[in-house]
Amino acid sequence: MADSTSILTARRSRAGRRPRAPRRGRAAWVGYLPYLLPGAVAFAVVIGYPLLSNVYFSLFKWRGGMAPLRWNGLGNYADLLGDDQFWTSFGNSLAMIVAMVLVPTIVGLLLAAVLFDYLGRRFGERVSSVLRATYYLPQILPVAVAGVLWNWILNSQTGALNEILRGMGIDAPPNWLGDPATALPAVMLVLIWIQIGYPVVIFMAALQRVDPELYEAAELDGAGWWHRFRAITVPQIRPETFVVTLTCTVAALKVFAPIYVLTRGGPESSTLVPSYYSYLNFFDKSQVGYGAAIATVLTLVIVVLAVIILGLQGRAERREREGI
Amino acid sequence: MHHNRTTTLVGTALAGALVLAGCTGQTGGGDTDDSTLTIWHYENDDSAMGQAWAEAIRIFEEENPDVTVEVEKQTFEQIQKNAKIVLTGDDVPDVMEFNKGNATAGQLAAQGLLTPLTDQAAERGWDEKLTGSLATTAMYDEQGLMGSGEWYGVPNYGEFVGVYYNKEMFAEHGLEEPTTLEEFEDVLAAFQEEGITPLAEAGAEYPLGQLWYELVLAYGDRALVDGYQLFADDVDFHGAAMTQATEKLDEWIDKGYIASDSAALTAEDMGVSFIDGTYPIMVSGSWWFGRLATEVQADWGQFNFPGNALHPGSSGNLWVVPANADSTGLAEEFIDITLRPEVQNVLATEGGLPVAGDPSVIDDERTRELTENFQAILDDDGLAFYPDWPVPGYYDVIVSQLQSLVNRSKTPDEVLDGLQSAYDDGKADLLDG
Repeated sequence: MADSTSILTARRSRAGRRPRAPRRGRAAWVGYLPYLLPGAVAFAVVIGYPLLSNVYFSLFKWRGGMAPLRWNGLGNYADLLGDDQFWTSFGNSLAMIVAMVLVPTIVGLLLAAVLFDYLGRRFGERVSSVLRATYYLPQILPVAVAGVLWNWILNSQTGALNEILRGMGIDAPPNWLGDPATALPAVMLVLIWIQIGYPVVIFMAALQRVDPELYEAAELDGAGWWHRFRAITVPQIRPETFVVTLTCTVAALKVFAPIYVLTRGGPESSTLVPSYYSYLNFFDKSQVGYGAAIATVLTLVIVVLAVIILGLQGRAERREREGI
Repeated sequence: MHHNRTTTLVGTALAGALVLAGCTGQTGGGDTDDSTLTIWHYENDDSAMGQAWAEAIRIFEEENPDVTVEVEKQTFEQIQKNAKIVLTGDDVPDVMEFNKGNATAGQLAAQGLLTPLTDQAAERGWDEKLTGSLATTAMYDEQGLMGSGEWYGVPNYGEFVGVYYNKEMFAEHGLEEPTTLEEFEDVLAAFQEEGITPLAEAGAEYPLGQLWYELVLAYGDRALVDGYQLFADDVDFHGAAMTQATEKLDEWIDKGYIASDSAALTAEDMGVSFIDGTYPIMVSGSWWFGRLATEVQADWGQFNFPGNALHPGSSGNLWVVPANADSTGLAEEFIDITLRPEVQNVLATEGGLPVAGDPSVIDDERTRELTENFQAILDDDGLAFYPDWPVPGYYDVIVSQLQSLVNRSKTPDEVLDGLQSAYDDGKADLLDG
């Protein structure tokens, strides 16, 4: 008991003191140091060092291994400017953004709203949960497996899709992954299929935190599904929309595995993307410096886009707070 | 002051990271550990090579009872893609199997990741067992170009591209094994007239490039091969041989000897369609032999590309000793064992095309036929390597350009332009070091 009394006394005496102003300058900084250090070291080892190494190697001509490094200054970057394949790969990144950000976000938003606000209410929570899990399935499927599956579907001679088309009387069905005109759209289709579950899950989780009274009130006022979607769903889950847009944009810019398993950048470079082009230079051509330069440019583009999206998000939040 | 401290802290953290990273690799190796021999290879246990390596390991263990042999199975892709990184560290095998050629073993040699074996080759007589085009892939110069310089690897077996054909489909249409390019074209035309696409092909991987190269070799000679593969001379892709070959391939595509939708097909697709009898002819490598022997239901055979004196092919993969290996002596002893008759004859009987074997020990008729076909090429010193070997990254260029031909999106002239410029750039990069 004596102990608890002394604790109470101590609490009182502390409470009785004038609250101390936050310490500024050196002393406070040193106090936080132990907490910052692990994160700083982890950042340096996992992100900082590889990033700086990559930038460093991009300034050299280097075959890799124990071969000598030969200073090339900005030569690799200058070469990139005149490299058609490099520009093709970045052009294809725009298609990847359409397939991995634009379409999945819009379709995901609609699906989430339908599952939550219509099917969930009409058929119960369990039905919408099952459907949500189904949409998410491609996300947990290893990309290599998805690649085999889609190759099986899209194979020009033995693929399931062309078998069906031939069955319908089409003699020369499209050569999906073999024709430059159809390969990129076919890859985009696969990416949409892989990607769609992610925004659905995020948006449905976001909708859980929206006050149901908003929907009820709107319904009482006679708002239909589309009105509720536009006036409640979209504005309420704006923060999550930004998160999805940011993460998917980054994923679209650095997409690698689906390209590797589906087309290896072909046919005729029509599905080449920057990360795969960097990999080709690094591993197949032993042009490590050039591969590193591509990776550095890709990193820069991703950082710039991420900053822009985060800036937009910050601005949207400010406007919301200010009630604009 | 505050700023300075921050800078110091970040600097210290980065320095720490660099030290940590430094601990993981770059230097080291060269220690001696004569109690363990670590072997990396990627052959299936039931393949000819897998069985031959098992025999070599058995002999090694018998002769070195105090040494523990550790065999680590890898995949071809694993070693191919990771070797450049893994071999800079200390945790490397003493001996490993690796793909041969300028773009692969040549790159490792140029990067200082392999131990030169020239002295051992002379001392142990490897240079006498492996000569001509077989030895070409064992030697690499300072720039990683094959054919001269130090010995960096030792091949045990060979491989070559030939023609597999479905004897039953040939018989059904009254066709015989062709012996010249003209006769071969007659066969192709005969099948096409019957509504059968004659050639199983795959535009997304190596097969179409090898067919193109067979045609280049049909019109070219050893001087062209030396110019193309060994940089002995400048290569004019618009010269007679390459132009004729590319136009011939274009003509075959145009006539429907190759399926118009084969641009995205893989080698596996090609093999499966030949196995199931969709196509009567497949031009591809000896590595298909075992698979076909097991899976093709119809009667089938193999012949060398008709009329050619030169064929795509080479020694098989190499045994190499990493620069950071810790028991090079044991590694060299193991390599020597793989060239002994006991091991070579395992390759022979299993259809593995030994480089120093005896075809007379082979009972199976088809295996003997394959081995004799290979022997005939070796007797003419007719191995002309593979079209993607000269410069790193050329594989993708050939695949892409020939896909354009199949898709009818480029003329032969444009394809040759594309092949020439990538070849010239790659060659300049290589010679530039």
